[in-house]
This record gives sequence, C-alpha cells and structure tokens, in this order.
Amino acid sequence: MRATIRLVTLVMLVGIGTTLRWTTAAQTPGTGSIRGRVDIRRTIAPPERRPGITDLGNPVPRDVPDLRAAVVYLETAPARAFEDRRSPRGRIDQRNETFVPHVLAITTGTLVDFPNNDSTYHNVFSLSKTRRFDLGRYAKGRSGTVRFDTPGIVRVFCDIHSHMSAWVLVFSHPFFATTDTDGRYRIDGVPPGTYSVSAWYEGSNRETRSITISPQGGAVDLDFVVQ
Amino acid sequence: MKVTSVALAVVFTSCGLATTAAAQTIPSEPVTLGDGRVVIGGDVAVSFAPEDESYFNYSSYDHNTLRELRLGMTALVRATERISLLGELRTENADTISPYGLYARIRPFPKRRFDVQIGRIPPTFGRFPRQAYSRDNPLIGYPLAYQYLTSLRANALPATADDLLRMRGRGWLSSFNVGDTTPEHGVPLVNSLSWDTGIQVTHGWDLLTVTGAVTTGSVSNPRVSEDNGGKQIATRAEVRPLAGLVIGSSFARGEFVSRHAASAAGARDASFDQRADGLDLEYSRSHWLLRGDAVLSRWHVPMVGDTASVSGGMSTHAPAYVAALRALALSVEGRYTFLPGAYAAARVEHLGFNRITGSRGPQEWDAPVKRVEIGGGYYLQRNLVARVSWQHNDRETSRFNRGRYVSGQLLFWF
Repeated sequence: MRATIRLVTLVMLVGIGTTLRWTTAAQTPGTGSIRGRVDIRRTIAPPERRPGITDLGNPVPRDVPDLRAAVVYLETAPARAFEDRRSPRGRIDQRNETFVPHVLAITTGTLVDFPNNDSTYHNVFSLSKTRRFDLGRYAKGRSGTVRFDTPGIVRVFCDIHSHMSAWVLVFSHPFFATTDTDGRYRIDGVPPGTYSVSAWYEGSNRETRSITISPQGGAVDLDFVVQ
Repeated sequence: MKVTSVALAVVFTSCGLATTAAAQTIPSEPVTLGDGRVVIGGDVAVSFAPEDESYFNYSSYDHNTLRELRLGMTALVRATERISLLGELRTENADTISPYGLYARIRPFPKRRFDVQIGRIPPTFGRFPRQAYSRDNPLIGYPLAYQYLTSLRANALPATADDLLRMRGRGWLSSFNVGDTTPEHGVPLVNSLSWDTGIQVTHGWDLLTVTGAVTTGSVSNPRVSEDNGGKQIATRAEVRPLAGLVIGSSFARGEFVSRHAASAAGARDASFDQRADGLDLEYSRSHWLLRGDAVLSRWHVPMVGDTASVSGGMSTHAPAYVAALRALALSVEGRYTFLPGAYAAARVEHLGFNRITGSRGPQEWDAPVKRVEIGGGYYLQRNLVARVSWQHNDRETSRFNRGRYVSGQLLFWF
C-alpha cells in the first residue's frame, strides 16, 4: 500500500514537472519546428442544400464554407506531450448558415463555444462516437458550449440546416497546426526525435511522412500534396 | 408479397448503406454535378405495420401510409441565375414511378425574395404538405386533415342525404349513384401526397412571407388536367414574430365537383366549390418542438334529392338543393429530443363533420375520428433514422370503428 502511494506521488510530481516544462516548450532551446505547405490540388465542393422541392421560393442566400483548411499533426508524439492538462477555449460561429471555421483542431479538455449569429434558429449536434451531443435550438446572440475530452474526429451538423457541417479534431497532444489560407502551417516546440507527420483533409488522412528533429533543434520543412 | 420482398430488400440495402456511409462511401449530402448546376437528393422510407383492416391510414393512392415503401428522388437544375427547374420522381410500393412535382422557379429580381413557380407546384395551403416527405414529420403516420379519406368524391355524388350517410366511415371505398358509379376512395380535407398544377408567387420580407397561387384542382383533389373548367385560388401568409415561432394562415377556394359529375346531377353549367381555411403554429426552443394545426373545409355538393330519378349514374332532373358539407380537423403535436439522436413525439387529433338531415334525423355526414399517435426515433447516423410509433384510432361507426397499430420505419435521405 505504501509502495503504491509512493509510486503515485512520484508519478504526480514527475507529471507536474514535465507539464511545467512542456508549457514553455516553444521557447525551450533544443526543440524544433515543422513547417511547410499543404497543397490541396482538388478542393472538395461545399455541401449543397438538398433540392428544396417543397419550398415556396428560393432559400435565403448563405455563405459558402472555406474548405481549404487542412490539419497537420504528429502521429507519434513524445510521451510527455500527453501530460499537458490545460483547458483552453475554442469557438465555432454559426454565421449565414455556415460554421466558421469549418475545421477546428483542439486539445482534449477544450471547451468549444457555438454562438449563433444568424436571425434563424440553429441546432448544433454531433452523432460522432468521439463526442455525441445535441445543443438544442437557440436564437441569435445565444451560445452553447461543449467540452471535448476524448481524442478523435467529431463531425458537427445543424439539425435544421442539413448543409451545415464542421469538423472538430481533438488531439491529446499539442503538436498540430491548421493551415492558413495559403495552405501554410507551422508546428513549434517539437522535441528532438523522429516522428510520423500526417496531413488531414476533409475526413481522412491524405499523406503521412517521417521527419527527424535533430538534438540541436531547428526547423524542418515538410510539404504535402492532397490530390 | 411483392411489396414485402421489395421492402425487405430495401431494408437490407439501407443497412448496407448505413455501414458504408460510416466509411463515407455513399452520399450523406446531395449529389452535385456540372459545377453545382445540378443537385440531386433522395430519400427512402420503409414502413412496417400490421394490416389496417379499418382503413384509417389509407391515402389517396390506396396505400396504407404505415405500411409502405417510398422511394423519392429530387433534382434541382440551375438553368440560369434567375431560373431553376425542380422535379421529384417518386414511387410507392414499387408501383409506378411518377413525377409528383415538376416546375420552373423564376426569381425575376435576384436581390429580392420574390419567386414565381410554374408547373406542378408544391401545395400552398397549410404547413404539413411541404413537410410530409422527410424527417420533418416526427411520427410515421400523417395528420388526419392531410391523409384521412372522407367519403366525398369529386367524380361521384350522392343523390340524397341518406346516400351520403350510408357511406359514413367508408372513405377508402366510397360509392355513389350519380356520376362515376365505380367504387373508389374518397378525398381528404387537404391532399398532402399529390400536387396541383398552376402558378405560384411568393414574396418574402424579414418577418412575413406571402404566397398566392392559381391552380387546376382543389386542395382535396389536386390535378394535372382540368376536369371542371374552374381554377383554385390559394393563399398563405407566414409570420415569424420571434425566433422559433411561425404562425401560418392559409385559404383556398376552387371548383371541386367534376364537370361529368355535375352534369350527371343535372347541373351542367353550375359550379360546386371547396373552400378551406387553415391556421397553423410552430414553436421550437431548446430540445422542444410544438405544432398546432386547424383546417376547416367546406364543400358545396349538388343533391338530386330523389334516388328514383337516377339511372345509370345520370339524373333526369336538376339538383333539388346544394348541400354545404363541412369538416374541421384539429391537431397538436410535440417532439422532444431527450438524448443526442433520440427523440420522443406525440400527436393528438380530431376530425369532425357537420350534421345533415336524413330519413333517420340529423347526423354527421361522415363519421368523426379521433387519433392519438405516440412514438420516437433514433438516428443511426445523421441521415438514417429508425422510428417506432403506436397509433390509436376511434371512429364513430358501428363497424370498423377502432384501429390500434404499432409501426416501425427506416428513413434514409441524402
């Protein structure tokens, strides 16, 4: 029994120590960066509304989601990366019948707000195994919040507007990045070692490559092409 | 037997679809072609229930709505910035494939919510007819006002009040001796399963949407081709005073009795109409959705008044009087989502009729019906839902006066 308590105490102390070191990893000498570009050669078309055959007229115009975002992440992260226990906050807006951003990458424990900016109701829900939820219907100016505790991929929809969808990618480590409008990304604070790095785009891993961060750190360039 | 086989095949196909959908190999969203100019959607509904021996759930297509296979495919073609073509092909119980809707939608002023629709257009009257096909109906059964068959027909007429009263509660196979004497189903108050042909204009503002239409048939009897020379005028106004609240008001008036039936009743140049008024309300908030619906329909039907003057479906003299037949349907339904992807729903309804005087005194011209349906659904995936419901019906007749059914349904759409 005493041995167990000592072991647990030791693990906790080591955990706290590594967490403290980890939160400042980006500034720590000897860590590296992975940077590059994801070249999406064939952008997936945004989902259309179902043909409104029973409608009495054209539907109200909506925004088209930006489907150019990809997520680059480490498949194999250092063990201590999993000890980061911060609870940051994320946000996916509902604006002109579109989720903005279309892709949100977060760490486990993140609280994500889903504010409604439209004058109509929305009903955010997900039936994904990673996180199943239904926020119900709420009006403009109101918001619902979901905490994501399990790593995985969560597809988010609106129960009222079937063409609205978004992705939430939940990671148990902080080594990931979402590409900008030019497809560029940068992952900082990566400890020395050899890693598998994957590019994810619209529901699936498109390419996995291996890179090595040297003990001296530095930046490694890694580009992906999504056909 | 054939229907059962097809239904089973579709169930297995649907299960297969469910599995493959998880692997993202079948469409969960509409299929787009031609750079978004063509959008195709579809839905499959397989419903199971015991035989409805009291015919409470039969529709104008002679199908039990709790026990059918329905396949539908809808398409939108964006011809120009201002003109779209829309259509729906549908088959029920694998009988025939028919174009239930086929029309052009024109937006003459692209920046204004002003649309003109021409062809076989969606119903203007009421809320339910435009929600009948998909997951918007929280239960398997349809509301009485939009499905239940009264004994009244557009192509056949009772000679006397007694002839009409004899058909009380027999709308699934109604038979009269003036006009078409072949036994056939009657009409519902509002037919949600068949679309009328004509032109429809809709103008929308922030809180208000107004629609007007001129069509060939009437709300009970939508038609592609003319059968009485008259037109129907239908209007609908929808107000959204606050988020989640929609109040709708509808009106329709159209010629109802066919020219042949009117002539057979000795009223060659007269017209006999149907008028309908509707009020509906929808309120939703959080995990609740509540709806209320009232439909009042009035038909004017010529009565020969003397069975002896009718021979071979034709009357030898002019109608003795015009009967004003009224029906009022009231419905309240609610849905509550109690878990992500799981909901419970209920609907309570009443359909009543005005009294007419026969040889046995005053009596409702058709048998009043009460219906309660309780059910729920579980989403196996976003576009595949399994539903069950229990439905209880009471009809004020001496025979076929009660029906209780447990039904199940698989509904898939993309």
